[in-house]
Amino acid sequence: MSGAEVFLSLIKIVIVIGFLLSMAAMAVWADRRQSAMLQDRVGPNRAVVNLPWWLARALMIGPAWLVAGLVSVPMWFGVTSAEVLPKVSAGVQFGILVGWFSLLLLSNYIRKHGSRGPVDRAIAAVDPRAYFYGGLILHLTALLLLPLLPKSMWQIAAKGWGWPFPETIQLATGLSGTFVAVVICSSALYAASKIEQGSTVGLRLAGTLHSVADAIKLIWKEDLRPRNADKLLYGLAPLLAMFPALVTFAVLPFGNTMCFVDTIDKATKKANGVLDFGELTNLASTVAANGQCAKGQIAVGLQVADLNVGLLYIFAIAGTGIIGAALAGWASDNKFALLGGLRATSQMVSYEVALGLSIVGMLMVTGSVHMGSIVDWQGANAWGIFVQPLGFLLFLTAVVAETKRVPFDQPEGESELVAGYFLEYSGMKFGLFFMGEYAEFVFSSALLVTLFFGGYHLPFIDPDGIRIVLGSSVIFEQSLQHWAVTLIHVGAFFGKTIVVMWLHVFIRWTLPRFRYDQVMKLGWTKLLPLALVNILLTGIVLLGCMDASPRVAVALDWAADLSQAFVALAAFGAVIWMITGLLDTPKRPTYRSSSSARYAAAAGGVKAGDMQA
Amino acid sequence: MEPLDIELQDGELELPTDPMLIQMGPSHPAMHGTIRIVVELSGETITKADVQIGFLHRGFEKMCERGDWTQCFPYVDRLNYASPMLNNVGFALAVEKMLGVTVPIRCQHYRVVLGELARICDHLVCSGAMAMELGAFTPFLYFTKAREIIWDVFEEETGARVTHSFGRVGGMADEPTADFKDMVRSGLPAVMALVEDGEKLLLENRIFLDRIENVGVVSREDAIALGWTGVVLRSTGAAYDVRKAHPYLSYDQFDFDVPVGSTGDCYDRFMCRQEEMRQSVRIIEQALEVMADDGPINIDDPRIVLPEKERVYNSIEGTIQHFKIVMEGVKVPAGECYSYTEAGNGELGFYIVSDGSGTPYRVRIRPPSFASTQALSDMIVGGMVPDVVPAFGSLNMIGGECDH
Repeated sequence: MSGAEVFLSLIKIVIVIGFLLSMAAMAVWADRRQSAMLQDRVGPNRAVVNLPWWLARALMIGPAWLVAGLVSVPMWFGVTSAEVLPKVSAGVQFGILVGWFSLLLLSNYIRKHGSRGPVDRAIAAVDPRAYFYGGLILHLTALLLLPLLPKSMWQIAAKGWGWPFPETIQLATGLSGTFVAVVICSSALYAASKIEQGSTVGLRLAGTLHSVADAIKLIWKEDLRPRNADKLLYGLAPLLAMFPALVTFAVLPFGNTMCFVDTIDKATKKANGVLDFGELTNLASTVAANGQCAKGQIAVGLQVADLNVGLLYIFAIAGTGIIGAALAGWASDNKFALLGGLRATSQMVSYEVALGLSIVGMLMVTGSVHMGSIVDWQGANAWGIFVQPLGFLLFLTAVVAETKRVPFDQPEGESELVAGYFLEYSGMKFGLFFMGEYAEFVFSSALLVTLFFGGYHLPFIDPDGIRIVLGSSVIFEQSLQHWAVTLIHVGAFFGKTIVVMWLHVFIRWTLPRFRYDQVMKLGWTKLLPLALVNILLTGIVLLGCMDASPRVAVALDWAADLSQAFVALAAFGAVIWMITGLLDTPKRPTYRSSSSARYAAAAGGVKAGDMQA
Repeated sequence: MEPLDIELQDGELELPTDPMLIQMGPSHPAMHGTIRIVVELSGETITKADVQIGFLHRGFEKMCERGDWTQCFPYVDRLNYASPMLNNVGFALAVEKMLGVTVPIRCQHYRVVLGELARICDHLVCSGAMAMELGAFTPFLYFTKAREIIWDVFEEETGARVTHSFGRVGGMADEPTADFKDMVRSGLPAVMALVEDGEKLLLENRIFLDRIENVGVVSREDAIALGWTGVVLRSTGAAYDVRKAHPYLSYDQFDFDVPVGSTGDCYDRFMCRQEEMRQSVRIIEQALEVMADDGPINIDDPRIVLPEKERVYNSIEGTIQHFKIVMEGVKVPAGECYSYTEAGNGELGFYIVSDGSGTPYRVRIRPPSFASTQALSDMIVGGMVPDVVPAFGSLNMIGGECDH
């Protein structure tokens, strides 16, 4: 392993742990925010970082200018005729995106803080949804119209005016890139101008800082230990609870394999075959459709550890999570904690069985326990949820039980065992249990994504670009740069994880808690037999498909493509539905408020629609 | 090593076991009435349960003997703090019974509407809290949101959200506000919509039903023998409702049903409460229909009812009337009586004794949850620790009235 590879591994570790911890904080926030939303009250939003005006302005302008530079500068150099269309197309799409999004942000800001000039009034006069719909129409039009332009158009134009071809193209793409950059920069500047000099800007990030502040606060809390507690085990338990979630994430691939070009040494005329620091900038411009790196390129997988036995490793390590709960229950010398520890142990051991068996069907289909292979299989065929719907449901149930969340939170059910196995813990030791639980929750979401939601794959996005295929016919094709695909894939993985986390939060706020014996009954008499049935069915279907005629293979291919198309359409629809829902003006309750509330509103005490704690 | 001197059957393993004693309460998340249950566990099964009350004892009855009759209202507010208005009305009715007076019909309707609103509040709190303790947090939040709407009405009418102290001997502290009917009429559909939202989450959920069906069963005979009243009694099948059996105020004018259960388990108690809310809405709608928009609220008796402030400051009669009532209290004739109403939890009785002075000689309360709580240990023995939660939650034990 070369130094550069070690360096890359460190970066990957930082990304993974950073994601786990930040998402754990986000999940805590989401859990609490959900309860606030049910009651039309503001959730946790007290934590605030007060930024001076110049820093706030810099934070608004700086990243925008960086993005603008990254977008526009490459457009001025080395554009070949093959790259004109993708580059111009990407630039135009990006410009449209920035355009409508910044208009939306601005109109929201102006509506809240009042308009100051004719531009402000014009922006605020339009319904925010119109910006979104307009942007969407522009996106689609640009996507459909730009490829229709004949590729030789630029050439003809250049000939007609008698200009040299390459320079003309260079100029055209460069100018379009600059236009996008100007749009980004000017909207950032306009937004920054809204911050008054000398004022401070409270950075709340919608309240997500609150849970971070809570975690930090725990460090300064007194760390109490019951007098008769076992000193060693009592201190060890929280660490053991935190440990598995952090370690198991290592084998989950969060992006496609990156290919770096190996430079050829001038003296020996040979590539040295390892990644050097100098080669970190040599990211291959494109890769083959199957995602394999070409000869002379060095592959770097986007996962901390690429283990052959990936899934087995996860089960092995995750199993140790039980020890933390059991030790905590035993060591803290409290009957409630002991009962909680007992419940946690028996529940997790029981569901470990169902968890392991529910995934066997998926392993039979993909033929591997290697996480990368499982993900690639899903990318090439269909997502696991379509291949193994029953397996998915069983796995989801078991994974919720493993993370000890409602409806499986008997080990800590506060109305029965007060807080269960971590009852006696305070300060950061409690914080470790808490963070461990939420980190496990993030990890389990990521695992669900990896096994059943196609990992980092998005439908119709291949390693070399967008390719919409149904059966054997290619409907749409658009090549993408390697870095762009990598970005999309990494974003897709983390985005999907967040969506699955939302699903978890949703379950937690919908279902009541089981009784302890009902949990056991469900695990052993329902989930376990169903998992076995799933394995049997999968085996039968697999055997049937193996000896079937080629027609069946074609039909399966079609079904897989249709499932991908379904996912793409559903995701597209969901995004549009969510954005229009967000832009909708919230409905206020229509019943009459009491006179004191009316007086308060009249005196400006309660601003309707504004977040106040 | 010596051979072990025990005879073991096949598959039998002798382990020394001790029953585990667990103190649930008084500060325990599920013991919201402030109660302590000492449970003896074998595994997770409860073999013995000792229910101990009295942690919220405040000497309410003794306190009542120190002031005049009107000064008891703040105390009765704090009996069943989930529905203070019903206690207010119940106590006022008891004193009026001693005085032998009846409040005007407008006041009766007013008391009925406020009382039924309080009953809805009471049931919302009980059902919501029970669901929350079973892990269903969302219905609880829906129900508290619904209660908030009703509390807004109370705030508008009485100036206070929880402890109104709004009842008075011979009437109410104030007239209904001009907005009263509008507020109730516009608020109730919103309340019921929220209740239905919460119900949908609970009653179509197998997990919730499994937790409450056939848990904490009490037979009809046992319930009657234990002195149960109210929802908990009706859930066992006995259709005894004070509002129907011994109508007071204007309840006999209204058309409403008494929901009755069949098995007397937590599910029946939950369902009876939910249905009673709907019946309360029916009563409120009818009462608002017949309630006059103007007319006297208080009885016309200067010895009982405080005069208006304008008269106090402008006429000598008013000043004297005010002085007499405030300094000496309402002179309730000597004697004793027992008056009972249907409160949120059941029959709320007041046994009062007067010696003819302006101060109560003795006030004795018959709290409905005192009777229901005594069945708790029988209900939970044989069950598991988690069963304590729905069993206790569905009794709606309120420490304020239980520990009298």
